[in-house]
Amino acid sequence: MKNLIGAFALTMTCALALPALAQEKPVAGAVAEGSLKGKTLTFVSYGGIYQEGQVAALQEFVEKSGVTLLNDGPTEIAKLKAQVDAGNVTWDVVDTADLPPYIHCGTLFQKLDLSKLDVSKIPPGQVGECSVPAMNYGVVLMYKNETYKDNPPKSWQDFLDVEKFPGTRAIDGSGDPIGGLIEQAVKAAGGDPKAMTADDIEKGIQKLRDLGPDTIYWKTGAESQQLAESGEADMIMMWTGRAMTAVKNGAAYTPVWQDWLVVMDQMTIPVGVKDTDAAYALLNAYLGQRSQEILTEKTSYTPINLDAKPKVDEATAAFLTSTPERIAQGYQQNIPFWVKNFDVASEKWSALLSGN
Amino acid sequence: MRPRGPVWLAAPAVLVLLLVLAYPLAIVVWRSFTDPAVGFDNYVWFFQSAVNRTVLQRTFVVAAWVTLVSLICAYPYAYAMTIVGKNVRLVLILCVLVPFWLSGVVRTLAWVILLQDSGVINSILRGLGLSPVKLIRTLPGVIIGMTQVLLPFMILPIYSVMRGIDTRLLQAARSLGAKPWRAFLQIYVPLSLPGVYAGVIIVFILSLGFYITPALLGGPRSTMLSSLVQNQVLSLLNWGRGGAMGVVLLVATFVLLAIAAPLMRQKHSSTRREA
Repeated sequence: MKNLIGAFALTMTCALALPALAQEKPVAGAVAEGSLKGKTLTFVSYGGIYQEGQVAALQEFVEKSGVTLLNDGPTEIAKLKAQVDAGNVTWDVVDTADLPPYIHCGTLFQKLDLSKLDVSKIPPGQVGECSVPAMNYGVVLMYKNETYKDNPPKSWQDFLDVEKFPGTRAIDGSGDPIGGLIEQAVKAAGGDPKAMTADDIEKGIQKLRDLGPDTIYWKTGAESQQLAESGEADMIMMWTGRAMTAVKNGAAYTPVWQDWLVVMDQMTIPVGVKDTDAAYALLNAYLGQRSQEILTEKTSYTPINLDAKPKVDEATAAFLTSTPERIAQGYQQNIPFWVKNFDVASEKWSALLSGN
Repeated sequence: MRPRGPVWLAAPAVLVLLLVLAYPLAIVVWRSFTDPAVGFDNYVWFFQSAVNRTVLQRTFVVAAWVTLVSLICAYPYAYAMTIVGKNVRLVLILCVLVPFWLSGVVRTLAWVILLQDSGVINSILRGLGLSPVKLIRTLPGVIIGMTQVLLPFMILPIYSVMRGIDTRLLQAARSLGAKPWRAFLQIYVPLSLPGVYAGVIIVFILSLGFYITPALLGGPRSTMLSSLVQNQVLSLLNWGRGGAMGVVLLVATFVLLAIAAPLMRQKHSSTRREA
């Protein structure tokens, strides 16, 4: 009898403990019904079709949890710094470019407590100390079919060789230095990107400068797309989303996938948000399989949940970067190096972009 | 000749300016001397950098070009507005104002379509059998785009002064034997100068701070200081350095105006005597 009671007690304890355990181990995409009723979260991203897609991906989260989701943007790290400095943070979850969460980890962005998130389905190597990926995309080399015909460029090394491959180049000059491209330029200059030092940055930048005065530095994604659609440049460094749209709109360009530069947007929680747990709940829902499928279907960006099977048309599928073949061809910049040397790189990059 | 009257009428404007201009400006200046450390570090950094010096100089050169081209376009336009009939004048005014109602980005992108290598202008040139010209991502391209954006700020002050000029003065000069061009140059032009000065100062100062047009129409060689400020403030979060750059631009502008102002005043008073 005693044993029976003991067994019963044990069973009860287990039964009681299980839900508690389940709560502790979150599942990506799972949302607790009515858990955030009366609460408000402000989600900040880059606007346009991208943020609309993200909101669509969070629709189920909003309906189930009962949270009121506000949208703001575009993301400016300077604005976030102003909020954190003033001790009045109104941005709860912020989508950023790939480096800021590493550069400002712990100062502007919270170190993430991974017991509150299910990161098991995120592609390997993409979870940072202060960030999870928001989506993946690539930077590809697009060349003009008419210019190169039978002898097209095959890699960034060809992009950087104006003697063998004459023609106008267009480079992403929209903001921060492009670490991946500088690494490729260092390689073209005879250096070893794997063993780069801060002094090599200038070597790489000089290689880009040597591309000549006709080189175009585009300022916005729309501008890069416009360059392709009007045929202004012979080789264009483009974001995959823009490249796909340009091709859909009739630009006669072909992507080069060898060493395409892996890029990701990041999801972060700023330091000093009012309800950290609510922010974690949003992130966890965002990482879910269905959310990521919706995101890709709406935006054509690559999902960051390995189980996601989005239904997309052929043109979009051609530019997704999550297939095994693409993953094998991708080139990942040396994030720790660029985080450490961000100021130097940015200074030199800005000099390059202002014609010096 | 000091203006008298109820000075307090200016109070609302002064209050707004103090709140949204003077106060933030004071913070910028303060930061430029204190962030990240107290002292002149940010200014030393600014002038030690060859990039900054080149771009500062370029900013003033571009502003001067835009001012000059605007003046050349605006003066005859404003004059035409004073001598045509009512309906034509309405059309001319609309032509000046309509671009005002469009967003700067839209206007600039329209220029991209016109100026680019495969754009409208070069297609026409090619169609005529002429060789295409490089316009986009060059300094002339930037000057063309900025001039169009800023033209109203030159035309309107000149027009408002010209409208008040008594044309009988010209008739008087003619009746005293002056040839038409002489009457125009010696009577009309000096009388219109206050409007010219106002337009020149407004356009020049606005040009100095231009950002989006040079960024989209220009190349690396036409980057202006505002782009570098943007990089420091938004990307590197060096607000002290960004502030120092702003202060340098502001002080340089003041110095230039201080040099120009006495010249203008002198000429102005001499025209009064002639008039």
